[in-house]
Amino acid sequence: MLVREIMKTPVTTISPDTTFLEACKLLQEKGIRHLPVMENGILAGVITDRDVRFATSALCPSPQQGSDPVRSAMSASVVTADPSDPIEEAARVMRAQKIGCLPVVEDRSVVGIITNMDLLDALLRLAGVYDSTGRLEVSLDDVPGELARLTSFFGHRNVNIRSVLTYPNGQGLIRTVLRVDTNQTLPLAEALREAQFTVLWPMPKPWLR
Amino acid sequence: MASVIYHPEYRRYDFGEDHPFTPARLACLMDLLASLGYPISAVEPPVASREEILTVHGEAYVAAVEALDRGESEAGAMEHGLGTPDNPIFPGMDLAARWLVGGTLHGARLIADGADTRVLQLGGGLHHAARAKAAGFCLYNDLAVAIQEFVSRGWYVAYLDIDLHHGDGVQSLFYESDHVLTVSLHESGYYLYPGTGHIHELGSGSGRGMKINIPLEPFTEGDDYLEAFDAVVPQALSWFSPRVLVVQAGADGHFADPMGDLALTTRTYQALYTRILDLAARHTEGRVLFTLGGGYAPAVVPRVWALLYLTLMDLPVPERLPEDWMVKWAHVLGPGAIATLHDPDPPYPAFAGGEERRRRNRNTVSRLLDSLSRYWF
Repeated sequence: MLVREIMKTPVTTISPDTTFLEACKLLQEKGIRHLPVMENGILAGVITDRDVRFATSALCPSPQQGSDPVRSAMSASVVTADPSDPIEEAARVMRAQKIGCLPVVEDRSVVGIITNMDLLDALLRLAGVYDSTGRLEVSLDDVPGELARLTSFFGHRNVNIRSVLTYPNGQGLIRTVLRVDTNQTLPLAEALREAQFTVLWPMPKPWLR
Repeated sequence: MASVIYHPEYRRYDFGEDHPFTPARLACLMDLLASLGYPISAVEPPVASREEILTVHGEAYVAAVEALDRGESEAGAMEHGLGTPDNPIFPGMDLAARWLVGGTLHGARLIADGADTRVLQLGGGLHHAARAKAAGFCLYNDLAVAIQEFVSRGWYVAYLDIDLHHGDGVQSLFYESDHVLTVSLHESGYYLYPGTGHIHELGSGSGRGMKINIPLEPFTEGDDYLEAFDAVVPQALSWFSPRVLVVQAGADGHFADPMGDLALTTRTYQALYTRILDLAARHTEGRVLFTLGGGYAPAVVPRVWALLYLTLMDLPVPERLPEDWMVKWAHVLGPGAIATLHDPDPPYPAFAGGEERRRRNRNTVSRLLDSLSRYWF
């Protein structure tokens, strides 16, 4: 999944001369938390709702007035993304830099923005939770061909896989969560066990064990 | 006493051999009731018209079903949820599904016209079907068409879904409606199809607070299920004041069902049916429309639904199953089928984890009631 698929457009931007009051109103009205700051058509900074509130708070050592420009409170060194970056790279950068948004820049202009919420939405899409699906959890050996064996099991049964999430469990095994387009997950789990897969969910009924 | 609705054409709703949602379930049930000395005397409903289907489904979807039914191009089948292992395409599926809808709709009309208060539709319960999509064995949403019939007459409807699975189709079709309360008890969507039915799904717009979900832990047993039911359903009905109850009475929450992980017994089901009739007496002057639904253990489903029938008809519950019926259906019931209407007591060996399941379920109910209290009081 690429940044261009999840970024929001058009982007609401302001200038360094925009006042705190205007910036605050914009954040409220649009229900957003981040405003890229543009100067002469070029990205000059980012200001967040927290920046605005703190700079104008009585708790700030040198509080600004609502009529002051936001220039002094914006972050001037901005971390950005390219539309073709993979979203996991965007997420890694945002975590490493502890920032909540990435303006998406192409040819020096801001073409979109992604926030941590867009990444959460992406996670939901990756997990396939927007479809009516059944969920299976299978433990695979961490060797080539195991995932292929698993997916072809479903292919042979004409069962459509809506999403696959895999992650290493740290003990040489790969936990694989599949969302499949059927409500017959219990019979599928039985068939998987017969085919020598380790199915973590659905479990056999405890009173039959 | 209740009116029973059934038409032989229901048996056409058949996805083929090896599909779990088989009409054999009905044949076996009706034969059991006859062997018990209660042959069904049913009202035969008319088939639902295309227009009646369109009261809840999109035109493009219905047209796609009809085209696939005629064997025309399968392009676009998948986007409508058709041609999948759950919903294979079969000739005559449009008409077969309309028969089931016709039955449930006819039941609604009997009640709305004042001809009867208690109605059992021996079929239907296709609660997964969405506006433009077949899902989970469900082609057309008979429940939603029936509910819409009540709503079009200005009635307030409480929909109660005791199927193993979340009643997602009905919930989504009336998500914004303030005329329809939906309450679904089901195995949690964290574990089971369709993956929805969480406590924060409360409806939207003027229907906010009128969509209620009670997702239960896998392997939840009867007592805990009834505790959750008692904590939510009576309160919800007294708050909403419906004029009629519509109940999807799926039997797949039974412990022996091959599709899921709830651990209800025949005794749980009988207790549920009694509670629902009591609630109808208290809140809707007895008006209640039952449909069937899921239920996939051949040796269980006829017993559970026979209990439903006997309870609705105020008939005594015999202890033993008729021998002639056991012999006739042995090939379906499978080896070791028990000879009593109720499950043995205890129904299964005790198993671990009950305390944690009870803690989780009670916390679910308590968090749900906290959310609802914002809208109810």
